[in-house]
Amino acid sequence: MLIGPTAAWTLLFFLVPLGIMVVYSFGQRDVVTFKLYWGWTVQNYVDIVDSLYLNSIVRSLLLSLTATGLCLVIGFPVAYYISRQSRRRQNLLLLAIMVPFWTSFLVRTYAWVNLLANQGLLQRLGEKLGVVSGALDILYTPTAIGIGLVYSYLPLMVFPLYVALERIDPALPEAARDLGARRHRAFLRVTLPLAMPGVIAGCIIVGIPATGEYVVPAILGGGKTLMYGNVVASQFFEVGNYPFGAALAVSLMTLMTVVLLLSRRSTARLEEVV
Amino acid sequence: MVVLVFLYAPIAVVVANSFNSDASLTSWGGMTLDWYKSAIESERVRTAAATSLEIAALSTLISLAIAVTAGLWSRTASRRKRQLLDAGTYMRIILPEVVAALALFLLFRRIGLELGVWAVVAGHVVFNSAYATIIIQARLQTLPLVYEEAAADLGARPRRVFRRVTLPLLAPAVAVAALLAFTFSLDDVITSLFLSGGNAETIPILLFGMARFHITPELNAIGAVVMMVTTLSFALTVVLGTLGLRTRAPTPAEKAEL
Repeated sequence: MLIGPTAAWTLLFFLVPLGIMVVYSFGQRDVVTFKLYWGWTVQNYVDIVDSLYLNSIVRSLLLSLTATGLCLVIGFPVAYYISRQSRRRQNLLLLAIMVPFWTSFLVRTYAWVNLLANQGLLQRLGEKLGVVSGALDILYTPTAIGIGLVYSYLPLMVFPLYVALERIDPALPEAARDLGARRHRAFLRVTLPLAMPGVIAGCIIVGIPATGEYVVPAILGGGKTLMYGNVVASQFFEVGNYPFGAALAVSLMTLMTVVLLLSRRSTARLEEVV
Repeated sequence: MVVLVFLYAPIAVVVANSFNSDASLTSWGGMTLDWYKSAIESERVRTAAATSLEIAALSTLISLAIAVTAGLWSRTASRRKRQLLDAGTYMRIILPEVVAALALFLLFRRIGLELGVWAVVAGHVVFNSAYATIIIQARLQTLPLVYEEAAADLGARPRRVFRRVTLPLLAPAVAVAALLAFTFSLDDVITSLFLSGGNAETIPILLFGMARFHITPELNAIGAVVMMVTTLSFALTVVLGTLGLRTRAPTPAEKAEL
C-alpha cells in the first residue's frame, strides 16, 4: 500500500517514541543507583509542581506568552500595512520579510549576541544617541531571550495575519464608515473581528513552538535563564532523570494539545458568524 | 520601515564582522579574509560540513519517497483516511522539536541502537516528510487525473504512467519539497544535537557549541557562508515554485509517445 512508508515512519519514529516517553513519565529513577523502576506512579507529575523547576517553568511560559504578544503587537500593523498595498508591492514586502527567515536560524540568533553584548552595537548606538549611559547588561537575561524570540518568530506571525487581513472584503469597513462610524471604530468593530481567525492562527503558530524553544534561550540566555525546552533537555542529558524529564515533556504536550483544541473551537465559532 | 531594519540588522552585522580583522566582536579592525581561510582550513569544519550534507541528502531522499507515496495515496483515499493522514502530518510539524527529538532519543536508547548519522536522519525525516507531504499534496490537487487516465487508456501500465506522466507533472513540487527539506536539514540544531551522540557533528552543532562556549571570529565567517547557502537554497525554492508550478499540458507528441 502506498501509505506504507508514511505510516511506518510516523509510527516507528514518531508515535512509538512518544508512547515510550509517556511510559517513562510514570516510572522512577533512583537517584543513587541510577536504576530505572517501572512503577505506575504519578510522582513525577507531582514533583513538577513541587520542584525548584516550577519557577523556571512558569517564567518560561510567561516569556513565550510575552514574546507571542509582542509579535502580535508588532506584526499586526506590519500585516495591515502590507495588505493595503498594491499586489506587486505586497509580494515584494512579503519577500523582504521572508528572506531573513531563510537565512540560518542559528546564525541569526547568534548575531544578537554581537548586538546585545556590553560593548556591542546596541550599546554603542544607545550611547551615541545619548539614551544610554553605563552597561546595558541585556545579554544573558530573559529580555535578551525575549528579543531573540520575537526576532525569530515575527515573520511567522505576519503571514497568517496578512492572509486573514487580505481576505477581508474592503467593502465591509467602507460600509461601516458610510454608516457613520469613524475610522478606528470601523477598524475595531469590523476589521479586527474579521481578522480574528488569523490572529488566533498566528498566536498558535508562534506560541506553541516558542514555548518549546531550546536554541534561543541556550544562546541568548547563557545557561542562566532556562526555558521549558532547556529544562526538559537538561533532565535527559545532564541530570539523567529520564522519568522526570519525560513527565515534563508530556505535560508540555498536554498543554499544547489543550491550547490547540481550544483555538480550533474558537476559530470554528468565529467562522460560523462570518 | 523600522521592522525591516530590525529584521536585517543582525544578518548585516554577522556578515560585516566576518570580514573584521579585529578579533573582538565590537570594534572594526579593517577588512580581512583570514577568518574564512582558517575556517576552510579547519579539518573539523570540513568534516562537519560533509556530515551535514550527507545527513541532509539522506533525509531529503527518504522524505520525498514518503511524501510522494502519501500524496498519491491520499488522492484516492476516503475522507476519513485523508483526515488521518493530515492529522499525522500536522502533528509532526506542530510538536516542538525538543519533545520529538527527546522521544526518539529514548527510543534509540531502549532498543539499543547507536546514535549517529542514521539516528539524526530518522529524526529529520519525521518533520521533513511532513513538510514535503504538504507541498506534494497541494500540487497533486491541481493536477487532474485526466492525463494519467488518458495514458492508461492508451495502454500504458501503471508504472509507466507514473514514470512518464505523474512524475514529470510532479517534478516542480518535488524540487521545491527537496530544497526545503534539504535546507531544514542543513540548518537543524535540536534533533541533530540530541541524536548525534557525539558521533556526527554537523555544522549547526559546531556553530551551536561555538556560540555557547567558545566564541571565535571564525564563527562569523562560517555563519556568513551558512546564511548564504540557506538563502540561496530558499531563493531557488521560490523561483522554482513560481516558475514550475504552472501546469503544462503535455504536447500531442508526448501523448502519442505513450
